[in-house]
Parts: sequence; C-alpha cells; structure tokens
Amino acid sequence: MNIFPIVNNGWKVLAGTFVVALPLVVPEMQVHLATEVLIYCLFAVSFNLLLGYAGLLPFGFAAMFGVGAYAAALMFNHLGSTPLVVVITVAAASGLLTAIIIGAFCVRLGGTYFALLTLAFQMFFYAVALKWRSVTNGDDGIPVMRPEFYFPGLGNLSLMNIHNLYWVVLFFVVLGILSAYLFLKTPLGNAVVCMRENEERAAFLGYNVYLTKLAVFSFAGLLAGVAGALYALFQEFVATTVIDANMSFAVVLMTIVGGTGRFSGPIAGAIFFMLFQDWISDITDYWRLYFGIVFVVVVLYLEGGLISLFNLDPIRRLLRRKTG
Amino acid sequence: MMAIHGLVYGMLLFMVASGLTLVFGMMGVLNLAHASFYMLGAYIAYSVTVITHSFWLSLLISPLIVAVLGMIIERFFLRRAHNRGHVAELLVTFGFFYILGELVRMIWGSNPLPVPAPVILQGDIPLLGGTYPVYRLFILFFSGIVLLALSLILKKTRVGILVRAAVSDAEMVDALGSNAPRLFMGVFGGGAALAALAGVIAAPFLSVYPSMGLDVLLDCFVVIVIGGFGSLFGALISAILIGELQSFGILWVPRLALVLQFLLMAIILVIRPTGLMGEKE
Repeated sequence: MNIFPIVNNGWKVLAGTFVVALPLVVPEMQVHLATEVLIYCLFAVSFNLLLGYAGLLPFGFAAMFGVGAYAAALMFNHLGSTPLVVVITVAAASGLLTAIIIGAFCVRLGGTYFALLTLAFQMFFYAVALKWRSVTNGDDGIPVMRPEFYFPGLGNLSLMNIHNLYWVVLFFVVLGILSAYLFLKTPLGNAVVCMRENEERAAFLGYNVYLTKLAVFSFAGLLAGVAGALYALFQEFVATTVIDANMSFAVVLMTIVGGTGRFSGPIAGAIFFMLFQDWISDITDYWRLYFGIVFVVVVLYLEGGLISLFNLDPIRRLLRRKTG
Repeated sequence: MMAIHGLVYGMLLFMVASGLTLVFGMMGVLNLAHASFYMLGAYIAYSVTVITHSFWLSLLISPLIVAVLGMIIERFFLRRAHNRGHVAELLVTFGFFYILGELVRMIWGSNPLPVPAPVILQGDIPLLGGTYPVYRLFILFFSGIVLLALSLILKKTRVGILVRAAVSDAEMVDALGSNAPRLFMGVFGGGAALAALAGVIAAPFLSVYPSMGLDVLLDCFVVIVIGGFGSLFGALISAILIGELQSFGILWVPRLALVLQFLLMAIILVIRPTGLMGEKE
C-alpha cells in the first residue's frame, strides 16, 4: 500500500485544523501572539516573492506595509463605519500604488542598487509620515478603533474580541498567501522565476523584463499593504514604527532565517522570529542582537534557511524503499 | 557661511564614503557595516574621552580598534560568503550592520551622548564678517589632511598602486602574484579605520546617537551613486555637493530638505546611471 498521500496530505490537514482551532485551545495571550505571527507570515511571504522568486532584495520593503497600515488607520478614523473588506481593499490598492511608484525607479537596477534605492525610498516615506503631522500625527501616531465585522449568518462580530480578530486575520492572510502561491503558478509567475535565472535569455525570448519585474514588485506591494492594514487593526494604533527601517530589516531577517528557497520558508521564518522574540525578550531586552547573530550564522552556514532542516525528502525516500 | 557649513559636512561624508567606495570597487560588495564602523568610532571616542579626558587619544585608539574589528569581519565572515555571490555578501554585511547597531544600543544605551571638543578647539573665531565655530574649521582642516594623505598613498606608494589596480581588476592582480585576499583585508580594515576616524571627528559636531549609522549610510549611498561606484574623485565631488545641498536645503526649503538629495539621486540615475565619474560596469 502506498502511504504517501496520507503522509503528505495528512499532516497538512492536521496543521490546518490546528491553525483554525488555535484560539479554542490556547490562552488569550498566545492568541494575541499567533495573530501577530499570521500578519508577519503574509508580510514575509510577499517579501519572498521578490527575494526568493524574483531574485530582488529590497531593503525598504516596509514602505508598502506602512502605507497600507496608514491607509487603513486613516479610513477607520475618518470614514466612520466602512466595511472591513473595503478598508482592506483600499489598503491593498495603496500598497500597490506605492510599489508602482517605487518600482518604476528601482526595478530597472539590480542587486545592490536595488536593495539600497528601495531603502532610500522607504526613508523618504518615513520622513513624510514623520513630518506630515496634520495627517499622520507624526511620532504620536493614530489610534485605531477595531470595527465590527459582518459575517453572514452570525451577524455583526466585534473585533475587540481577540478570537474573532484572529479568525478574520487568518482569513485575509490565507487569502493573501494563497494568491501569492497561485501567482507563481501563472505564466507571469514563471516568467519572474525565469528572469531570476537568466535575465538576458528572458529578454531574448521576448519577455519585457522591466514590466515583469514591476508587476511582481507591485503585486508583492499589494500583499504587503494588506498585511499593513491587518497590523493596524491588530495593534489598534499606527505610528512611524510601521514604516521605519527596523520594520524593513525585520522582514529581511525573518525571511532569510526561514529560508528563501521554498514557499514555506518565510512562513517558518516569521513563526520562528516571533517565537524567538517572545521567548528571549523575557531574558534580555536586546533580542534583536541575538536574532542578528542567528541571521549571520544562517547566511554563512545554512544556505537554505531553517526550513531546509525540515526537509522530508530523505524520510520519504526511506519509506518508498520499504513500501516498495 | 552656509557654503562652509555644507563643505564641512561634505568632507565628513567623503571620509566615510571613500572607504566604502574603495571596498566596493575592489570586492564588488557594498559594505553596509561600514556605517556601523563610523558609529562605533564615534561611540568609542565618547568612552575614551570620558575615561581619559583626552579627545586626541580617541582619535588614535578608536580607528585602531575599529580597523581590527573590520579585518576580523572580513577575514572570518565575509570571505566565507565570497564564493556565493554578492547577495550573500551583502547579507553578511547587513547582518553585521544590524548586530553592531544593537550592540551599541546595549552598551551605550539609546540616548544621544555629548562628546566635548578639546578646549583649544572650542569657541568661535571671526570669519568673513561673522563668527564661526573653531571646531568646524578643524573638521575641514583635518579632513583636508586625510584627503591629501589618502591621495598621496594611492598615487605614490606601492600599496596604493596595488589598491588602484585591484579596484579596476582584482582577479588580474591576484593572477599577477600579489596576495589579493590580504589586500582586500587590508583595504577593508583601512576603510573601517577611515570611517571610525570620521566618526570621532563628527562626534563633537553631531553628538553621538544610535541611528547615526543609518543616517550616514543613506547619505553615503547617495554620495556613491551620484559620484559613481568605485570612483574616489567622484565621491569627493558628490560628497561636497550633498553637503551643500543639505545645508542650503535646510535654509531655503526646510520642509523638503530630507527629500532633495534623493531627488537629485533619482535624476542622476535616470540621466546618467553610472554616476558622474563612474565607468560602465
């Protein structure tokens, strides 16, 4: 009997059930943590579309995340009761728009130029968020009231309840990650990977390198905008921290540590990043320092990231041999 | 008066950017940790002046410590990533940028720290019908000497010739029998020392704070992009340009001051992607 379908898919079903049922089995503090992990998962997955699949390393990726967060916060504050779906859509659109503006300048350049130019643009957006006090409130930030969420059949659910918030965030995060996954299956997604491998040949085959890169950058920006909006909802507060360099650096760190070679790498990275932070900040205030050390070790000695430690292939091969 | 002000900051920027652009020209990696060397230089200067009450001593000690640190990073970490391409190298330097930034926060805390200038250099002197702080003139004077020394070393000495050769073709230098890896390590350390020196000099002028590394990194990056990667002369011109732009920018359009240099960089990138003095890759 071939047990692979069960081994392969069984754990997926199990993991899925666990993620959905999580709020019912763990204490409230942990639900809080898990919600944040989910948001970072989406953020890191969208980042890895660029780093892992397009071969682009943006050091200023928080620009889109931050713009999404600010867009959501401003809508919650000024437009009264807007349906959550509309807010998320607008945040996604603003993330997309930001990415198109930044990408138009940056994607033409490769490697180091691209990495630092995006950082320069992000610092520009940061400066705007800091100085444009009449809109963004500068360093003081904008408080966000979590709205009610209309769910067919159940009526209006309050997102002040962390369990409801978790499920809503889970819904959007899964939607985002799924669309990233499907994006890579499209011809456009294939073209992106093709360009990472050999840009000249892709251009020779007739692909428009500039537009393709701009497209994947914009799409990643859209997802980052969604993640930003969810973050605003989660934190109930938006300040310049959502758009500063540390946010950009965090996503670089978690994605690389998780592993860029596989789709699940950044998810593992985000989970590890948050758990590491949660665990070690009890011991020391300087968790970033220790995570930086983990990062350097991974870059130097573990090219595939942490996810490569969970490589099931040798086990599968062993099983295959036994079951014949 | 504003012109001198811009020149002072420009020369300071040049001191940091020169090491960065030399290393980039040779090894093809933009060393993000370079900005941390600058910051570390300033912080060590703070500690040395607190302990020994001698600013001059810190001018000697701080670059030495940072140079050793730079060489260790190059020898034991960066070199391992060398075969794996520039992204891996960039990430290693990024890791150290991050680690050193946090280390500084851990040792010295997050608040800005003042470093007093030496007594002789305090106060103002009359200049061009106004008065001007002596210390800023000292920065100008000192960085002028560094610039002179740097160009003499690069033009006249054997090491300098090797370095310039390695900037244009490192592999060929290696093939011709010079020890390129050792040269890399030396230049990396030398660049780190230069950055630290700039940090020490900047400390009484700008005070010492944890995000000074990031600030200078972005300014330096703009300088190098405008000047052209790997070009020392280009770096000098554009550093002064950026210094002037910032000092006049704050005077004329204070709300846009932060944006001006990025705007300039965007324009340069569109009309001349290799920078003012850069050669085609």
